[in-house]
Amino acid sequence: MSATSMFGGAAEGSLGFDRLVFAPKRAQTRSATNEDPIEARAIAAVKAGDAASYDYLVSKYMKRVISIAWGIVRNPADAEDLAQEAFVKAFESVGRFKSGEPFGPWIYRIVTNLALDVMKHRKRFRHEEISDAVPSERRDRADLPAIANELARRIDRGIESLPEMQRIVARLYLVEELGHSEIATMTGLSEGTVRSHLSLARGKLKEKLADLHGGSND
Amino acid sequence: MIDEHEDFLERLRTDARQLRFEPDEMMSNRIAARVRERIAAESHAGIAFVLARWFRPVVASLATLALVAALGVQWLEQSPRDVPGTTLDALASTQTVDISVGGDTFSVE
Repeated sequence: MSATSMFGGAAEGSLGFDRLVFAPKRAQTRSATNEDPIEARAIAAVKAGDAASYDYLVSKYMKRVISIAWGIVRNPADAEDLAQEAFVKAFESVGRFKSGEPFGPWIYRIVTNLALDVMKHRKRFRHEEISDAVPSERRDRADLPAIANELARRIDRGIESLPEMQRIVARLYLVEELGHSEIATMTGLSEGTVRSHLSLARGKLKEKLADLHGGSND
Repeated sequence: MIDEHEDFLERLRTDARQLRFEPDEMMSNRIAARVRERIAAESHAGIAFVLARWFRPVVASLATLALVAALGVQWLEQSPRDVPGTTLDALASTQTVDISVGGDTFSVE
């Protein structure tokens, strides 16, 4: 099966830019209040001691939490452990969670912090890594989603070549489609720093993907 | 210029969306089950855990106090007692005081 047929033609021609009209910028305007009544009820029940209601929150945010963790640590096993740890940690401190707020940003922040801790730990013990040539966090390219087309893979390589914080910020912004303020909250950086990382990342990505995007860096 | 930059990132976003990691069903179920298991374990151990959390420091404080008290008593018991002959009574009983009045000397024991 060719890449074109497998990916429905998205790998060639328009490069998917025709979808720009529906770009997710609009989706970024997330309110600070919880608009999912089931979620709000589930949180209230968990706070009241009904642990079974936590299932709803776990299943609702599972994919996103794993994806965020994987995007940072780039290892499915670590991402799985981190997701598990994040959900347990969130449950343990649910008493401090403000009622009426969406659960998503909170659990994303928890998993991001845990993943950043893993990265710090890896940096400290880098000499113990299996391969000197390829850092472990970059080893799992084979785990890229099967549907990722060639363009997406090039973007992935571009993002992975960035310095660590630029890479993390760029991934959260581009792949997870989170806003500047959300990324700032999740990573503990200021919004200005997030914008700065993103601006630097953009410059580098524009160079690397110049042939795909008109060839200039202006 | 800013719009151009934003536009570039928006275009990237559209294609980068495919790079999200999609866990398979088995992975999701495994995580959900482990989370459930750990939460259940914590809930069962909840009362014991709370009691232990409150009682442990109390017991530790009491044990420290008891130890300090025991050491204090022992120290007091072992500290040097009054040396015989140093109190007023002892001095009075062992020494003679001579008092002279009008040329006569009286000796008081």
